[in-house]
Amino acid sequence: MVRLCVLLAMTFWLNVRLQANDLYLGAASADISPKLPVALMGQFHMRIAETADTPLYAGIVAIESRDGQTGLDTAVFVSCDLVYISARLRQELRDEVAKRIPGFNVNKIIVSATHTHTAPVLEDDLEESSFIYPIPEEGVTKVKDYRALFVESVADGIEDAWANRSKGSVTWGMDRAAVGYNRRTVYKDGTSVMYGNTNKEEFQNLEGYEDHDMNALFFWNDENELLAMSVDVACPAQEFEHKTTVNADYWHPVREKLKSRFGEKVSVLGWIGAAGDQSPHSMYRKAGLARMQELAQKTRMDDIAERIIRAVENTYEIVKNDRHTNVAFHHKMENLELPMRIITEEEYIASEKVVKDCQDQIAADPSKAPLLYAKMTWFGDVLKRYEAQQKNPEATYTSEIHVLRIGDAAIATNQFELFTDYGIRIQARSKAIQTFVIQLAGPGTYLPTEKAIAGGGYSAVCQSNVVGAEGGQLLVDRTLEIIDKFWDKENEVSLKKKL
Amino acid sequence: MICLKQCFSLLFLSIFSFQNYAQSDKDKNLKVGWSTVDITPDKPVLVAGQFHARLSEGVMDPVTATILALESGEGTNSEKTIWISCDLVGISDGMRATANLRDEIRTRVVKAIPSILPEQIIVNATHTHAAPYVASIAAVEGIYGVSLDQMANGKPAMSPATYIPIAADRIAQGVVKAWKKRNPGGISLGLGHAVVGLNRLQALKHGKSRMYGNTNSPEFSHIEGHEDHSLNLMYFWDLNKQLTGVIINVAAPSQVSEHSYKLSADFWHDTKLAVKKSLGDSVYVLAQASAAGDQSPHVMVGSKAEERMQQLLGFGEEGTGRGSLAQRKQIAKRLADEVIDLFPVMKANIEWQPEFKHEKKLVPLSRRLLSPEDVAEATEEAEIWQAEYDKLKAEVHDNPDIIKTPRWYKNITISYSKLRRGLVVSERYELEKTQPKMPIEVHVVRIGDAVFATNPFELYLDYGMQMKAQSPAIQTFIVQLTGSGSYLPTQRSIEGGAYGAVPASTLMGPEGGAELVEETLTLINKMW
Repeated sequence: MVRLCVLLAMTFWLNVRLQANDLYLGAASADISPKLPVALMGQFHMRIAETADTPLYAGIVAIESRDGQTGLDTAVFVSCDLVYISARLRQELRDEVAKRIPGFNVNKIIVSATHTHTAPVLEDDLEESSFIYPIPEEGVTKVKDYRALFVESVADGIEDAWANRSKGSVTWGMDRAAVGYNRRTVYKDGTSVMYGNTNKEEFQNLEGYEDHDMNALFFWNDENELLAMSVDVACPAQEFEHKTTVNADYWHPVREKLKSRFGEKVSVLGWIGAAGDQSPHSMYRKAGLARMQELAQKTRMDDIAERIIRAVENTYEIVKNDRHTNVAFHHKMENLELPMRIITEEEYIASEKVVKDCQDQIAADPSKAPLLYAKMTWFGDVLKRYEAQQKNPEATYTSEIHVLRIGDAAIATNQFELFTDYGIRIQARSKAIQTFVIQLAGPGTYLPTEKAIAGGGYSAVCQSNVVGAEGGQLLVDRTLEIIDKFWDKENEVSLKKKL
Repeated sequence: MICLKQCFSLLFLSIFSFQNYAQSDKDKNLKVGWSTVDITPDKPVLVAGQFHARLSEGVMDPVTATILALESGEGTNSEKTIWISCDLVGISDGMRATANLRDEIRTRVVKAIPSILPEQIIVNATHTHAAPYVASIAAVEGIYGVSLDQMANGKPAMSPATYIPIAADRIAQGVVKAWKKRNPGGISLGLGHAVVGLNRLQALKHGKSRMYGNTNSPEFSHIEGHEDHSLNLMYFWDLNKQLTGVIINVAAPSQVSEHSYKLSADFWHDTKLAVKKSLGDSVYVLAQASAAGDQSPHVMVGSKAEERMQQLLGFGEEGTGRGSLAQRKQIAKRLADEVIDLFPVMKANIEWQPEFKHEKKLVPLSRRLLSPEDVAEATEEAEIWQAEYDKLKAEVHDNPDIIKTPRWYKNITISYSKLRRGLVVSERYELEKTQPKMPIEVHVVRIGDAVFATNPFELYLDYGMQMKAQSPAIQTFIVQLTGSGSYLPTQRSIEGGAYGAVPASTLMGPEGGAELVEETLTLINKMW
């Protein structure tokens, strides 16, 4: 009798705990294609796109955990075909959603970018950005107009996903796909060069690691219909980075093929893992890859897309029957105060020289502005930071992170082009079975490692970095502290398989 | 319609290719022969690959040698290469110890087929750590500090000195078979990708590195080096365009089952089964490890997620996680999937008369320059292990019944191996003074637009990458462990100081590595 009572009590306790975390899920997609012509973000020289090869999309998933009818926690993921997410764009979106969904905690909205270099410019205010183009006043979509279009469209999508959320299930899985390549070449003299030539005697090694894990989440509604999937690849979407047309890069063919395979309504969220030092461009064995593409009558883009699709399909087939309805769900947004990278006097002087040179060239020949203006502002930001540093050497940089637990998976976001080693540190020490790191969930600047800073080269020089290696480690440590808390015994909830 | 077009294209290509073959210069005709032989011993043997001795306790799966005989042209001047890939940890070649399996094979082959020259025979190891020990013909007590009789406790067992000639006999017979079976054929060259080899060195925040350390530690900074997930493939076809076999070259040693007491070919066994299942039982798979001295198949980050996937794949009963059969099957699937995926494209692009050149060179490489401090440190360690060995040996003397305990010899053989390991540093230090260079056998084989470049080492990946990046070939297959193997680390690794980069693990250092790269590239460039 006593045993029966204990058993009943335990059953009741478990059920209460399990029911306390029912997931309600909604998904949507938003077309964020710009009106043409539009200025494109991602290269030093200004590019005006007259045409679009593909639409640009935002994939949206809304998640709410509930205790009966009481909402416990929320998250809205928005993955965008953009080069990064400016602070202003994110705030304007949150403000709009706040208007449309009263009471909704808009700080739970996570907006990340795929880093396509063929998407619109998002900033035109030198006070807010270190990278400004001289976009013509007329004949080209204004930056603020594009932001308005984005906000309208994505807010519609969030509203739709939130309104249509229903009890659902989720699972996670991983496969391996070699997509991103480390792009920093180290030479025998110890210097590093981004995209440096490896076919020379001085070539020593590639500077850092590559992360070829491909993590995925799958979301279903209570009708067992697949609503959405998020696919995390540690490689920025910049195969087409030099084009002068609007293009969603590799996420377009990936999305199209996944929709064709899993259903047109399925929302595909492209997440980029820690990949500040990665790109889709091969650094060696190029001739062999080119030959294979020619023989197979495929492009590099096809190759990338096929690798990802194959990994997603493999993963789906393995995990599709391991869905979870009652899972631990926690979401914490935090603003970190990270130490800013110190600008040396030499760096200040060198940057000042470049700024002056650009100014002189543009003054002498205004037609050079499209080529030199962004460079001038990029170096100019170093001067601003140096001057601020003189007034306050301890100044910090505020950086928003999100950490989530969904069942046995952890998700950790950051705003940077985060060098892969930091992502590996988070994954290695995470208590989760599977850890998703999502970079570029905010204004992206490179966050290099100590090793990379020592090697130098674009992406590891002071112009490229607001935060240095010390800040990178703080980001890792704080992210892990939050993950650890989510795995405290008190937060542990047994998993209940729906299927 | 697309299918119809493809069919016509294939038909056209097939006719065109065959005509090309029929009308071509006979000097370039390629002949291809395959065989495989079982080299699993019929008695327990020492299993190579760990500090402690392991006397084999059965067979998980057969250890084999796969032979590919290639001949280009006709008559006595034809170019010939015999590839032999063995499920062994290394191929003894006299470089490190007295045994010389490579030359034992060569002698037998040349005796059986006088037209083949010894230098046309290349023998490589897959680096399975669950295969017979072939590194020395010394008495087992001289290798592990314990006699074979004691280890086997009166049961039948075979010493390396007995096993090596048996293996050489079987492999030579396999070569004869492959040579006799050679027939006109063609090749196609493929480049795929598969994530198999993972860098096993972890750099810590204080600047030092360790092999297989726990990455789940605040001390962990990053993975020390790089990885190479390219898969170099060469498919071989008969005149009917039927696949006869495939070379799979992957930057990963096959050492998932590295602690096994049962003999096994490791993941290559599973890979061969998976390839044969899809492409036919008669298809041969010749396994090569590219430069992968700092690589292993063990997952350093994300192992929990991978193990869950193995469980969901239904491999639970076979064990999951590190060292499991599930991991081997997962690797086999990745390799086989890529071979199968490229198959149609490869079949449509067969080259019947590839350029074929083979050159062997003895390259003198600088020995690693050791310091008196290196010697002192190693000698001190050796003294510690000597004391431990003496103590354990005395225990055996005092308690002879200890040898009735299964695997009783583990600790004592560890102490002896580490004692020997410490002493070799002093020997190498002295040798470097009188013989600063050590000749290393390097083979470079050009087949069509591809080149194969061999070395006897566990070559750190960066060297392979340097060769691949600077090679004029469309694809460059680096083949490591075509000899007895010692680690050849980079300067970065030596500074990190992990196992694999310490003096006791190495014959050569970065200077020798740079020379190897330079000499190999010189040989390759001559062929272009």
